[in-house]
Amino acid sequence: MNRLKAFISQETWSPYVAGILLGIVGLMTVLLANSLLGASGAFESIAGLIGKKIVPSLFSNTYWGVEGGRVMPVIRPEITWSVILLVGIFFGGTLGALSSRTFKFRFNDDAQWKRIIGPQPWKRWVIGFVGAIIVEYGSGIAGGCTSGLAISGGMLFVPAAFLFMAGFMVSGIITAMIVYRKRY
Amino acid sequence: MTNYIIALILGIAFGFSLNKAGLTSYHNIANQFRFTDMTILKFMLTAIVVSMIGLYAFRGLGWVTFPTVPATYIVGNLIGGLIFGVGMAGAGY
Repeated sequence: MNRLKAFISQETWSPYVAGILLGIVGLMTVLLANSLLGASGAFESIAGLIGKKIVPSLFSNTYWGVEGGRVMPVIRPEITWSVILLVGIFFGGTLGALSSRTFKFRFNDDAQWKRIIGPQPWKRWVIGFVGAIIVEYGSGIAGGCTSGLAISGGMLFVPAAFLFMAGFMVSGIITAMIVYRKRY
Repeated sequence: MTNYIIALILGIAFGFSLNKAGLTSYHNIANQFRFTDMTILKFMLTAIVVSMIGLYAFRGLGWVTFPTVPATYIVGNLIGGLIFGVGMAGAGY
């Protein structure tokens, strides 16, 4: 029991152990809910939900669905299963940090980021915000993010997952080369 | 309602595993693309292999039917992935 406690309170696990846990979670998702893990779709659902309240004309399209339309929307603008999952992910991450006693409110304190990009907090905020838009836009086009497409698709042997992984590795490496230049 | 409770529990386990793998830190994600730290690939591919084995075994036993799979459209998946990688390596999410 004490060994289990000590194991859980480690800050990071071996990636293989954490991967096995995620694999079981992915398996349970199919078994219990007949659904797939995913995070990016939930953000789009929330965006659609808010957008339809504020500017209904702009959000009334085939992507989020037309009022009384017969075509199924790509993203349902409502509190979907994935939205609840996303809430769970937030609390799970918090729980993970709490269990290893590393939980704290951080503000640009990643040592490597400071060394490469600079210590100014606004840079972290701006690049983080723009990067998140790019990530969400890319996953919107591809039909999923790392969890929803690469992992969930990969475990079902869907070709899309492997195309997507190849795509983000290629552009990720190029981006890292540009950011790090000689330090790559 | 039960469905939502399942979603919440699965989400918590998902977030917990991401945190324990260290995917919540910028340097882990950036270093994957520099190949100085292979954590992400080890983590992702282990998860894929474990659930792949489980899923196909369960389907063989007749316990599960596969949900609607993500659609494959070569150009879209590739271009989406290429855009995604820029944000992922740049911002470290």
